[in-house]
Amino acid sequence: MPFREINAKMVEATVAPGQTMYSQRGAMLAYRGEVSFTPNIQGGQGGVMSMIGRRVANEATPLMTVEGNGTVMFGHGGHHIQVINLAGDTLYVEADRLLAFDGTLQQGTMFMGSQGGVMGMVRGQVTGQGLFTTTLKGHGAVAVMAHGGVIELPITPGADIRVDPQAYVAHHGDVRNRLSAAVGWREMVGRGSGEAFQLELSGTGAVYVQASEDKL
Amino acid sequence: MAQFRLQGSKVLAVELTGDAVKAKNGSMVAYDGRMTFKKLTGGGEGLRGMVTRRLTGEQMTVMEVKGQGTCYFADRASDINLVSLHGDKLHVESSNLLCTDAGLRTGTTFTGLRGGASGNGLFTTTVEGTGQAAIMSDGEAVLLRVTSQYPLYVDPGAYIAHQGKLQQKLQSGVNFRTFLGEGSGESFQIRFEGEGLVYVQPSERNTIGGDL
Repeated sequence: MPFREINAKMVEATVAPGQTMYSQRGAMLAYRGEVSFTPNIQGGQGGVMSMIGRRVANEATPLMTVEGNGTVMFGHGGHHIQVINLAGDTLYVEADRLLAFDGTLQQGTMFMGSQGGVMGMVRGQVTGQGLFTTTLKGHGAVAVMAHGGVIELPITPGADIRVDPQAYVAHHGDVRNRLSAAVGWREMVGRGSGEAFQLELSGTGAVYVQASEDKL
Repeated sequence: MAQFRLQGSKVLAVELTGDAVKAKNGSMVAYDGRMTFKKLTGGGEGLRGMVTRRLTGEQMTVMEVKGQGTCYFADRASDINLVSLHGDKLHVESSNLLCTDAGLRTGTTFTGLRGGASGNGLFTTTVEGTGQAAIMSDGEAVLLRVTSQYPLYVDPGAYIAHQGKLQQKLQSGVNFRTFLGEGSGESFQIRFEGEGLVYVQPSERNTIGGDL
């Protein structure tokens, strides 16, 4: 089901019988109709194995299942919300940035080290986002939180995008990422520009960048 | 009557022509013309108001702003919403009330259990009469209409104000899972029934219910 953007910080979703959606716990602001909110111990779908996977990967943001017949408004902590519609591709996003998503999307975790080897691991450390990230795949809508507004930058072959790791929010599509470092002697003597690390994204898709270098 | 207008979403401009408004203490950010600021004890409701506000914990330190010119108000970069009252009553948390026309009467009312769950105490402030009021929200608030066919459920932490003929009831979804620490975080909701408007902000205050 699609999300309707009420303003920059609130979205509304329609829940119909037989449809499930997941949202971060406590992110409901208001609702109409008959809607139930049940805690999801597994932190999404996929059964016990994927739950263990997410626990180990530290991507286990508490989620709740939203079911029923009505409309629900979501928002959290006054963060900006970006709605991303997936058409069969994969979205890569940190679990704690997920506000709500369609229950039809397949959820998983991905080891960042598998992209870019050692530098992939360094990327996780530098961005403060850990070694794992959550993936959502399929057809449906996702509402993602960001600090400040969000811009969407398209990635096309031959036109790589470089992003400040702290401002990176999410990306989707067939995209490879790697961390490039420009650590020179200036950083060592404390005269660096403050832009020593950049995230390079190449391939076909889009990256979402927030207007802030703060975490949520 | 004082003219209220928004200057951007976070600053309230009030045009005064010798009349007065009541505003949250210390919320003036600028003014032109000639203004006087006088602190009112007990929300400017006299001795009775002072006593009830003390007793109910619905404390509100307000000042009376009187003069000729434009006075600008803002508070901690909160978003501001204008409310027009035509003889009806606005219920609002005292911490969310920025400014009211001096012609409006303010008071306190018992909210029952709802207040306890919303983290705002058991009492709320009421504003009644004809004139304008300005209320604050953490982020841009939305105005949701409640009709007799369509009741509305609101997260107590996201509720800021309501007006009209509305009954409110706190409903809880506390069950054994909540006590196992596996709650959905949506254990309490305020159910609004009747005819009226509810203001909801895109952010949640810390409430007891929010942790359950």
